[in-house]
Amino acid sequence: MTSPTIDLREALPAEGRRAAADYLIDGAAPQIAQQPRTREEVAELLTTASEAGLAVVPQGSRTSLDLGRPIDRYDIALDMRGLDRIVDYEPADMTVQVQAGMTLRALRSHLAEHGQYLPADPPPGDDVTIGGLLATARPGAWRGHAPAARDLVIGMEVAHPDGSLVRSGGRVVKNVSGYDLHRLHTGALGTLGVILEASFKLVPLPPATRSFAVRRGSVRDAARLATELRDAALPARALTVLAPEAATSLGLPEHAHVLLELAGYESALDAATRRVVDLAESSGVGPEEAPPGGWERLRSLAGSPDGVVLRLGIPATRIAASIEAARGLGATAWGHVAAGSVMVHAPAIDVTSVRVLRRNVEAEGGFLVVESGPPALRAVVDPLGSATRDLVGALKRQFDPNGTLSPGRWEVGL
Amino acid sequence: MTHEDLIRDLRDALGDAHVLHLPEDLIAYEYDATIERARPDAVVFPGSTADVSAAVRIANTHDVPVVPRGSGTGLAGGAVPVIGGVLVAMTRMRRIVELNAANRIAVVEPGVINLDLQAACEPHGLRYAPDPSSQRICTIGGNVGTNAGGPHTLAHGSTVNHVLGVEVVLADGTATWLGGRQPDAPGPDLRGVFCGSEGTLGIVTQICVALTPLPHEVRTMLAIFDSVEVASEAVSAIISGGVVPVAVEMLDQEIIRIVEPQMHVGYPLDAGAVLLLEVEGLPEAVAADAERVVAACEQAGARELRVAESAEEREGLWEGRKGGIGAIGASSPNFYILDGVVPRTKLPEVMSQVNALSAEYGFRCANIFHAGDGNLHPNIMFNELDEGATERVLELGGEIMRVCVEAGGSITGEHGIGLEKRTYMEWIFDDDALDAMGRLRLAFGAGERFNPCKVLPTGHGCASGHAAEMRQHLAAPGVYI
Repeated sequence: MTSPTIDLREALPAEGRRAAADYLIDGAAPQIAQQPRTREEVAELLTTASEAGLAVVPQGSRTSLDLGRPIDRYDIALDMRGLDRIVDYEPADMTVQVQAGMTLRALRSHLAEHGQYLPADPPPGDDVTIGGLLATARPGAWRGHAPAARDLVIGMEVAHPDGSLVRSGGRVVKNVSGYDLHRLHTGALGTLGVILEASFKLVPLPPATRSFAVRRGSVRDAARLATELRDAALPARALTVLAPEAATSLGLPEHAHVLLELAGYESALDAATRRVVDLAESSGVGPEEAPPGGWERLRSLAGSPDGVVLRLGIPATRIAASIEAARGLGATAWGHVAAGSVMVHAPAIDVTSVRVLRRNVEAEGGFLVVESGPPALRAVVDPLGSATRDLVGALKRQFDPNGTLSPGRWEVGL
Repeated sequence: MTHEDLIRDLRDALGDAHVLHLPEDLIAYEYDATIERARPDAVVFPGSTADVSAAVRIANTHDVPVVPRGSGTGLAGGAVPVIGGVLVAMTRMRRIVELNAANRIAVVEPGVINLDLQAACEPHGLRYAPDPSSQRICTIGGNVGTNAGGPHTLAHGSTVNHVLGVEVVLADGTATWLGGRQPDAPGPDLRGVFCGSEGTLGIVTQICVALTPLPHEVRTMLAIFDSVEVASEAVSAIISGGVVPVAVEMLDQEIIRIVEPQMHVGYPLDAGAVLLLEVEGLPEAVAADAERVVAACEQAGARELRVAESAEEREGLWEGRKGGIGAIGASSPNFYILDGVVPRTKLPEVMSQVNALSAEYGFRCANIFHAGDGNLHPNIMFNELDEGATERVLELGGEIMRVCVEAGGSITGEHGIGLEKRTYMEWIFDDDALDAMGRLRLAFGAGERFNPCKVLPTGHGCASGHAAEMRQHLAAPGVYI
């Protein structure tokens, strides 16, 4: 790429200027940081950068910038938090159109006034922005019980480096008009375009929730109970197997546990609770009330900025084995049964161990993602499979031919 | 290279028995369930992913298009080989490769019939949620192509929400998996964008789907109203009341009077409209949810509520819904099925406009549709032998689509764009959006190779085809779209 030949301080508007030192990525500061207030300003910033051969890294709450490889170049920090409004909310339609920079927390509080919510619980918490939620597509404990955020998006507007503003989908809950380009941008880490706003379909807030922890003698026993609970088709919103180390970080005794959240009307919860008690007591001790704030702590652990966080996509029948494999590396691990995902957190894991773990997971038809970790680790663990990488490369050439958006996220130069 | 060379190469690669090329054999593959019609150069029946790759490579060598096809039930012309080429019929690839109850997934070939997969899941206490009305005949591969919906989309989502991964043959003939056996694989959601791409990005050769548990209990109700408008008001009242039923289907008086005399499923002939409502879950929860739904209907002005007391009654109510479109065929020489979507709250006014427009054009219109999703299916009845009727029906269809778009809606909820609606794409997408969609097609290397002249309007990475001629052809079976 060409070296910068323009004066960014001249080329970009002064009123959106932010302190570059607040936007470090892997220890490096950008030349300049901007926080635009409008979609047009975003488009202008992108065309300016693209024409000058500069690299832009779009970002929101900056909680998931470790996803993907370390970037090759970093000239402009594009802080999307200036676009933070609800564009349109029609409670009776149960749809909302919201700008990318609004936090999930702010959106949640608006929707709650009408008894609705967006059922997404990404790590590390509700401070994530809507754009970040979609661009990173990190699942939480609710995944598999509620639809994923990517499945709730019904429309999107994206800015491309050529300055075009592209809408896909619409504002209706069911729509097969044209290609679902919004799908392309979920999980794309902002490498194909910058998400400006998204429309979602919403669901009613559950009138009540109840969480239980059930202690078991081993991870295997906990996984067995969790599978029985899954098969009982209860109104669950989360069902998680905790290794003893994960249990302690939630304030539970150091034993394997099943953590379960039920959501629905009280009458349904009463009925479901009876089944939980029956199932738990038939194979061991009964359920206890889960520690308050337990789910939030688990979520924040999954989004921990320190150490290494891995996410394994594995068959439900391999949850216990995968958790044990992670414990063997000195990690804290827990697994969400419905989504078939095991989260792994450790102060450090060496590259070889990650590779071995990945090979084993892939042999089961699964995958491993490094969600957080030191640049040295992220630089050598391929964030994509090779076949997918060819297509991602082709998409990149179509949508970002100058390599403006977070170059290097997928591989050097890509 | 000649047409004979193409046929020879295909026969060498796939075997003589799996290639059709005589004009009398090709006729049956000229159309799907729509108005459009065009003859392929050849029809091939691959038995494996390798066969599909071979067919695509041969088509490349001979520079002819490739058009994938399932059961041919498409309602937008997606499987019509507009400018000829090799039609790849997936019906031979119909194995359920794996049904893994413990991990709740199934791996199927694209030719598996939707209902056959349902039947295979049931003994395990599981189901494959998407249930398009054509589920007795449509294929899973076709469902992926159109991102098919169905009555239970309201709570369970469309096909894309249940597909974990697809093996696809790309334009260069290579096979690759998008997504896999677990949800949320890293990277851009290529699996998601492939679903609903109507065979323009590649040919799906294997599908890994997520299975969900059968509910403990299902309760199906029939709410009877004096008018479509009142029933439409009830839909929003039910859903915004905090219970999202798994299905909210509406039938208007016209369709009731067609269905009931033929099928005797218990729809009252004097009703202005009925809502078919379903809730499911734990028995205790179902009872409470049903009460809330009933209360919302009564408050909105329902004349009567009936609850299916037995499995047979429930089946009967659904039989009427799923067989409704077929019943229209028995009562009108021809009919034209429309598919539009509007925000739920716009249903009352949009339904009034649809009926007013139909009356203005002088056609009977029967409405049977997914009200909970705001997904309309007006069925315009006509006789193609009447001078100018077909043209006026198509014009009326366009006007109804315009009403949907002006109400903030969209031009298709589940049937797809195909050939039929690509000119309407400009009503909802601007040039930048259409160009971006064209770029997606280029990135997949598909260009004009796969299913040319579909989805995108002329000038956005899609040739004009023989659009003018296409309009001239009428399909024999009497279903128009």
